[in-house]
Amino acid sequence: MGVPRYIAAALKWVDLRPEVDPLAGTVRHDTRTSGLSLADAAALEWALRLGESWQLPVAAITAGPPEARAVLRDAAGFGPTRLVHVAADRDAPSDAIARALAPLLAGAAVVCCGDYSADRGSGSVPAFLAHHLQAAQALGLTSLAPEHPGSLVAQRRLDGGRRERLQVSAPAVISVEPGAAQLRRAPLSGLLAAGRAAVETAAADQAPEYGSRVHLLRTTSYRPRPKVLAPPRDQLPRARLLALTGALSERMPPRVVRAAPEQAADQLIGYLTDNGYLG
Amino acid sequence: MAESADVVVAGAGPAGAAAALVAARAGLRVVLVERGPFPGSKNMYGGVIYPRVLDTLLPRWWEEVPVQRWVTRRATMVMTGTKALTVEFRGEDWDAPPYNGATAYRADFDSWLAGKAADAGAELVCSTTVTGLLRDGTGRVTGVRTDRPDGDIRASLVIAGDGVNSFLAKEAGLYEDWSVTHFTVGVKEVLALPREVLEDRFNLTGDEGLDIEILGGTQGIPGGGFLYTNLDTIAVGVVLSLAGLRDSGKRPEDIIAALKDHPAIAPLVRGGELKEYSAHTIPEGGMDGMPHLAADGMLVAGDAAHLCLASGIWLEGVNFAIGSGALAGETAIEAIGSGDTSAAALSGYRRRLENSFVLANHRKLRGAHKLILGKRAQTVYPELACGIAQRVFTVTDPQPKAGLRRWVHDERKRGGVRLRDIVKDGWVGWRTFG
Repeated sequence: MGVPRYIAAALKWVDLRPEVDPLAGTVRHDTRTSGLSLADAAALEWALRLGESWQLPVAAITAGPPEARAVLRDAAGFGPTRLVHVAADRDAPSDAIARALAPLLAGAAVVCCGDYSADRGSGSVPAFLAHHLQAAQALGLTSLAPEHPGSLVAQRRLDGGRRERLQVSAPAVISVEPGAAQLRRAPLSGLLAAGRAAVETAAADQAPEYGSRVHLLRTTSYRPRPKVLAPPRDQLPRARLLALTGALSERMPPRVVRAAPEQAADQLIGYLTDNGYLG
Repeated sequence: MAESADVVVAGAGPAGAAAALVAARAGLRVVLVERGPFPGSKNMYGGVIYPRVLDTLLPRWWEEVPVQRWVTRRATMVMTGTKALTVEFRGEDWDAPPYNGATAYRADFDSWLAGKAADAGAELVCSTTVTGLLRDGTGRVTGVRTDRPDGDIRASLVIAGDGVNSFLAKEAGLYEDWSVTHFTVGVKEVLALPREVLEDRFNLTGDEGLDIEILGGTQGIPGGGFLYTNLDTIAVGVVLSLAGLRDSGKRPEDIIAALKDHPAIAPLVRGGELKEYSAHTIPEGGMDGMPHLAADGMLVAGDAAHLCLASGIWLEGVNFAIGSGALAGETAIEAIGSGDTSAAALSGYRRRLENSFVLANHRKLRGAHKLILGKRAQTVYPELACGIAQRVFTVTDPQPKAGLRRWVHDERKRGGVRLRDIVKDGWVGWRTFG
């Protein structure tokens, strides 16, 4: 690995407010509500801070469909010198994303990532990326303190409320929690220039094959875990069925409270008290 | 160092986007500043757009405009506490180009229109609030200040499309007569229904839509109601006089709840899942509430200029915003081309508005909102109309039918309606709408 030449922010474009059909489970995305998660915004902020601290230029890179270039435009508002978009599917697996990004990030002193994505991502891209770059990895960081160029001290959580402090040397891949930093507000001049900034486009097939002997065969669609309930104790099937469905059992019909706020509050508290929810 | 542009447009709503589109097409450097994360993200209205104003701006706009449904049925409902009389028009012509009206979500429509401005070369800057005006020593507007670091933008001309509470127009001193009576508040709920349920319930097929405007049903507060059909949601709401709402001591959500409970509306909204609740001030003062439209270095368009038409029969806002914005853009081209953006040089803006539907309609319908929001139109006449209708349609066997003249007379007496008031209002209405 050569001399580190820049800081990189590897950013993921996600829908921050996807609509999920409650019956079919299908997810509807909207490009207008898509952008950087708070974790990725914190990563970009740390990339900018490290660049300023170490006097290194900052590059922003993302992988995704063409609409993902929007996060690069956002990042360009802060003045990164290089913007790179890698064409990939929205739901491409982490390793494929890392393989696509790695060749383009050679020479980065530090690659900053968010520690999770808002679309149920596993947060594993940074680890794969560190592997492909043969770089150090420090993931799930809550705070960073740059030292001399190429060195920083980071902190992350451990179980039981403990923390650990890490000395990290470049080249490294780090991922940060959303609270690690708040992204600064881009200056107006940067935003206007961002609209004219050039974005490089790289094809995903430029990346080398990862020599793993484990291959992804299939990914099933997301299903929430079932809630485990104790079975009915009755022996008869009919009784168990009635117990499971609640059929033939008396129940209080839903009631809409229409009253002045004070009276409505009294009625709600009375209901909760009568039904054992309050003292 | 401040950025510089030929034109800065504050607000990427329909007025601002249309102004930016026209000015950018002429090769001017235009910066379009939007407070929300994307155009339309924070905008609210009843739900119907009349896009024919786009015919010249964007030919064949209907092939790409993001609408929910094309309005093919237009109903006016006169409502009392328990009765309703509805007159409905259905026009098959309205379901084919060039169409008439459409229901649309503003997040979709405004984004689309602002996108056209950006395609034409305007620089769209979102999540940025214009916080004030820049002026030179003579008081002339020379740009805007935003909430961004280094956020000043110098410009030959500022177009304020910043909505009904236009802080820029106020700061520029363009409002002389500011009265609460010039405003109403629109409150609406968006209720989700499965598309097939909605189409069965409203007797719609394909992309047909229904628009119901309601007179009455506002608990005695001057105003009206509405119900519009989208693809799989309906928008139901009320428009209330701000002064009347204040004096009543009632809350707008209670007025909507009562409207939804009305026997004529309840079956239409039954089972709807509340997706959105929103409210917005509406400039309904028309010519009476309109500010000066130009200052040295600045024009005002759309709701900021009170160019919203609320006249009972016609409730239009977005088309007036687009029309005024486009004319502001034309004026900008002319003024910047001549190197003179003084208020005198910008007077052509008003002339253009006068020669277009924008001020021609406002001038013609100047007294309409007072007539419609008056006590007789709001409560007395709906009672009278519903009472007469009930008598007409009630079979009173074995009593013979008394006849229309008798029914009108009896209902008029029962409601305490003086004949001379009917004649007077009829004359005013004829002069206004005729």
